[in-house]
Amino acid sequence: MIFTLFGVCIILGGCIEPFSPEIPPSDSLLVVDATLTNELKNHEVFLSRSTQGDNEPKVESNAAVRIVDDNQQQYPFTETDAGTYVSDVMFGAQPNQSYRLLITTADGREYASSPTELPPLTAEITDVYAERTTTDSGLDGMGIFVNSFDPTGNSIYYKYEYEATYKIIAPKWSSSQLVANSDESQTVRVVGRDPDNEERTCYATEKSNTFSLTNTSRVGEDRVSDFNVRFINRDNYIISHRYSLLVKQFVLSRQAFEFYETLQDFSGVESLFSDSQPGFIVGNIFPEDNGEDQVVGIFEVSSVSEKRVFFNYSDFFPGEDLPPFVDDCGQVTFPSGFSPILHDLVKTNRVSYSDEIRNELGALEAYIVVPRVCGDCTVLGSNVIPDFWEE
Amino acid sequence: MRFFFFSIWLFLSFQWSVAQTDTTQINLVFTNATRLEVLEKIEEISGYHFYFVEQWLGNDLISGTYQNSSLNTVLQDVFKETIINFFILDNRTIILTRNTIIRDELHPSFYETTTSIPEDTTEITETPSYFYLEEKQDTRPDIETVRIGRERKNIGRRTYTLSGHVKDKTTGKPIQNLAIVVKGGSKGVSTDANGFYEIVLPTGVNILQTKGIGIETLEKRVIMYNNGQLDFNPGESAEQLDEVVVESNRLRNVEKVVTGVVEIDIAEIKTIPLVLGERDILKTAITLPGITNAGEGAAGYNVRGGGTDQNLILLDNAVLYNPAHFFGIFSALNPFTTGAITIYKGSIPAEYGGRLSSVFDITTKDANTQKFSGEASLGPVTSNLVLEVPLVKDKSGIMVGGRTTYSNWILRSLDDESLKNSQASFYDVVAKYNDRINERNNISATAYFSRDAFSITSDSIFSYSNRLLSLKWNHQINEKNSANVSLSNSEYGFGIDFEANSNRDFDLGYRINETELKLNMLKLLGKSHKINYGLSSKLYLVDPGDIEPVGSQSIIEPLSLQREKGLESALFISDNFTVSPKLSFDIGLRYSFYAALGASSQKIYEAGLPKSEGTLVEIREFGNNEIIETYGGPEARISGRYFLTPDFSIKASYNNTLQYIHTLSSNTTVSPTDTWKLSDINIEPQRANQVSLGLFKNFDDNRYELSLESYYKRSKNILDYKVGAQLLLNESIETEVLQGEGKAYGVEFLLKKKEGRLNGWLGYTYSRSFIRLDSEFPEERINNGEYFPANFDKPHDISLVTNYKLTKRFSFSANFVYQTGRPVTFPIGSYFLDGAEYALFSERNKFRIPDFYRLDLSFNVEGNHKIKKFAHSFWNISVYNVLGRNNPFSVFFVTEDGSLQAFKSSIFAIPVPTITYNFKF
Repeated sequence: MIFTLFGVCIILGGCIEPFSPEIPPSDSLLVVDATLTNELKNHEVFLSRSTQGDNEPKVESNAAVRIVDDNQQQYPFTETDAGTYVSDVMFGAQPNQSYRLLITTADGREYASSPTELPPLTAEITDVYAERTTTDSGLDGMGIFVNSFDPTGNSIYYKYEYEATYKIIAPKWSSSQLVANSDESQTVRVVGRDPDNEERTCYATEKSNTFSLTNTSRVGEDRVSDFNVRFINRDNYIISHRYSLLVKQFVLSRQAFEFYETLQDFSGVESLFSDSQPGFIVGNIFPEDNGEDQVVGIFEVSSVSEKRVFFNYSDFFPGEDLPPFVDDCGQVTFPSGFSPILHDLVKTNRVSYSDEIRNELGALEAYIVVPRVCGDCTVLGSNVIPDFWEE
Repeated sequence: MRFFFFSIWLFLSFQWSVAQTDTTQINLVFTNATRLEVLEKIEEISGYHFYFVEQWLGNDLISGTYQNSSLNTVLQDVFKETIINFFILDNRTIILTRNTIIRDELHPSFYETTTSIPEDTTEITETPSYFYLEEKQDTRPDIETVRIGRERKNIGRRTYTLSGHVKDKTTGKPIQNLAIVVKGGSKGVSTDANGFYEIVLPTGVNILQTKGIGIETLEKRVIMYNNGQLDFNPGESAEQLDEVVVESNRLRNVEKVVTGVVEIDIAEIKTIPLVLGERDILKTAITLPGITNAGEGAAGYNVRGGGTDQNLILLDNAVLYNPAHFFGIFSALNPFTTGAITIYKGSIPAEYGGRLSSVFDITTKDANTQKFSGEASLGPVTSNLVLEVPLVKDKSGIMVGGRTTYSNWILRSLDDESLKNSQASFYDVVAKYNDRINERNNISATAYFSRDAFSITSDSIFSYSNRLLSLKWNHQINEKNSANVSLSNSEYGFGIDFEANSNRDFDLGYRINETELKLNMLKLLGKSHKINYGLSSKLYLVDPGDIEPVGSQSIIEPLSLQREKGLESALFISDNFTVSPKLSFDIGLRYSFYAALGASSQKIYEAGLPKSEGTLVEIREFGNNEIIETYGGPEARISGRYFLTPDFSIKASYNNTLQYIHTLSSNTTVSPTDTWKLSDINIEPQRANQVSLGLFKNFDDNRYELSLESYYKRSKNILDYKVGAQLLLNESIETEVLQGEGKAYGVEFLLKKKEGRLNGWLGYTYSRSFIRLDSEFPEERINNGEYFPANFDKPHDISLVTNYKLTKRFSFSANFVYQTGRPVTFPIGSYFLDGAEYALFSERNKFRIPDFYRLDLSFNVEGNHKIKKFAHSFWNISVYNVLGRNNPFSVFFVTEDGSLQAFKSSIFAIPVPTITYNFKF
């Protein structure tokens, strides 16, 4: 009841203050982030350790990771990056099979998940669409909504994640660029850009680091309608041109759903009623020897359905100004001759050429430069057009 | 001191007035002068000063002429034919006394057969002064003297009969079984059912004293000349209560058979320092050992390691579900209408049941049936007014009280936009009607309503209310039997209105209603048995929650959880059995029975597996009033007391209790969104067993009370919650709750000084309370299935409450409280999952918030003690939390910008001064 407390405190003269509780050091716990889906691919498992204070997250390396199905078929994993384990073969979870995740850490502790079955494969995203909306709190922007339906009515528990890809156009791009002359001269010169190295239009891709949950247990049929998976404020430059969102729908087991629900409650998204009991969220991975060391996380086996949507800013905000760019692209003028500062900026690739100033006689007097990001989109994204991209 | 001095010089005056010699010679002439004028003249010429009461002198005119006469001669003449005696103390002082001298004629009123004439109105009959001298130690001038009958000469009777009625001063009810004793003698009688008494007294001066439980002790000096009548009207007098020593109560501490009882009289707590100007009986209760709350501003009480839902709080027999205003900063009881509170924390009398830990039995004062009176207070946050109106004199009266805040007004006058639109207000009203129909029948009715409304956010209004009605009929069947029938109804509900003009506007509500009919019989069997028996039945109706969309564009789906219905009945009998003067028992047995009733759809889960949607087997339908499930059991309430010495006793008790209703609250404190849930097919009643042992000793003529009590308690089916449990509007609450075992024990020490300039108490409690939630399934196991400290486990608790009287009008008070911080679940680290950071929480209740301590001071000023004045006033100036200690109320964690931040909140982090004005008329 933070809100209510706050109310009282305000009335009686503010009394909420930050503090640092003294917490004795404790053993860090193994954190498992493992999702097995029905997709045929190399699945990944991420192992790390919980941390205290402001310490950087620690990865858990040199563990032996494998998934075993109930026919004793083993799928071993190999550590590719520190803490990232990838299955040696491509495989997908099959219906009516149960799977266990087995982990042996470098220090020899053995952990196993409880047997977990693939939830029904019968739910499918019927539609993903984008719409200009206003949020409850009055923000104008783009909402991405999803519709899904399971005619068998068995899916019920849904988790959504997304992958956003958007086009970036450098606002001050020029066909010319500056290159630094020798250090002795401390001057720069203008050259044409390399036509093979696209720096005007790029594409950036971001994976969601949050998830949304919904369930259809209180709804008559197993149908997710107009569920808002993402909202982008109209001030966000990422929707300036063309934007694409790949919505991934995971049908979860009830246990996994409850796990994520609790996790979400604790993540600081306060609601008037989420006055929930804090504590350790029990997942489905336990030490093999029934020891007392707890494992954070859950071995999730889920069935995936995904769909992509594209939209253009101009279709929803016709005639309106573009959202502000990440940088306000202020122009700076440097003399065209000896200029150690400009030389250094160009050499370290921190500015982009924008324009130049010539006198009445046409002689070059100065260069006008902008921050690099304004003329070179590769700062923000990749200049390779993604395979799935549709204009 | 004054009394003592007075009696000495009375004694001296008698001796010396005979043998006075004075050599002062004066010349004096006066004609048709009053004696007062004469004395003034003498003072003028002789330099002597007279000490006397003007009324004694009368208005008779006298004349005289003296030449070189001694002062003695002059005065003898002046006071000739009066009852005045004079005494020349030294060469400056002459003291007049009034005694001896018997007149021939009698005042006409003395011829009436019954008289009771106070001294003020008489100037006729005087008795020989040796009466006074014989009773020297009692010749206190403040004792009213009453002369009974007319003295007839030559009648040689040695004894006369005095009779009369004793009635309560305020209510006018006859007082039964009140002892009227002759002080210093062995003679005494007691009043009958009509308050009538008759006593034979010797001629002359007798000091009569009334003595009764809970009744003011009155003393009258009665001078018997003949048979006559004298009525007593003892009662409560607010101005005197602090001073009154109710003799028969003095040994209560050691005498009472039942253990673990706390009694507080509202008048006792008048001088305790206040916060925001409210005198609060429940706040005082938590300064006593064994009763605590979660902290400042926390509603709900924890009694002997029990949860906040385990207390039966009764206001005139009706259950008060939420006894708090404003999150517990104020209690919902009007201090002016509240009479007394008795808290049973150890052995609960058999007539009460339905809660595991305690009974708070709060009674409202009876309305004054004698005269119109009232009481009012003005505080910084609240104002309170109570009026008492007699309807039929000495028979019936009505009392109406109301209390409200002006915080809404304060909020509205603030500059801050968000505060301006918020609100926080409460009020409560109470009305009581009492009627003494006749000698054998009394009825009373109480109605109570309280409501709180406040904003949580600028768009939402949270409100809750209590409504109570109770009717009581008291019937005296005969000398040995009486019956008490009560009917009560109470309703508690809360609501949230969320109106942000968005598509999520809603209106949410919760309500519980209960109606109880109770018959309580009292039978006196011989001298040693007092039997109490009866039955009660209570019907619960719970609407566990409904939500409705507000406005046409709201997308909130309406939802209404099915109504719960239950019937809780009980039969009880108890015997207060006096085995010998030293040994007494109170043996009670209660059989309670609960039936969960339809209409309802009950979810049946696979036996032996955790209840979850996955293990749901079927949904069973029950028709209206069909019995879904029954629970019940015998409850023993046994306690005994043995006197080791007359002021030292040992007591022991065993107590078991059953509770069929539970609060759902994941909060440590009572939060306004807590709901009450009835036992049903999936949730079993809570059960507890308690044993306790206590030693009670009074010292120094009962001025000090000392008690040491210990208890050990085990409970079963205590409700707790799974991690992340969501309790509101949950249709399958049984999948979120866990029922575990509880264990609590403690030692309570209390030293009380009840009288004297310095009075108050010191309490210390060491107590522990643990819960265990174990299961073969990991999701139902908390802290590996081991005992862990309950949310309210606070091992050390010290309270010091003191009051020091400077004079009769001025006093100082101080409170000091120290408590161990309560347990909390802290985040002990963090982890990353899927790219986001989350808090890693410790085992449940592994850490504690910092310790709590607080000092409060107050200064009290009573209005002057003039008898003739409009109102009696009382000022209280308090400073709450003088040390400015920032006592954390709660600790919470918010993920801000991807990282975790800890916050602590406190309610009163600074000293809070308050001034309150009360007056009574």
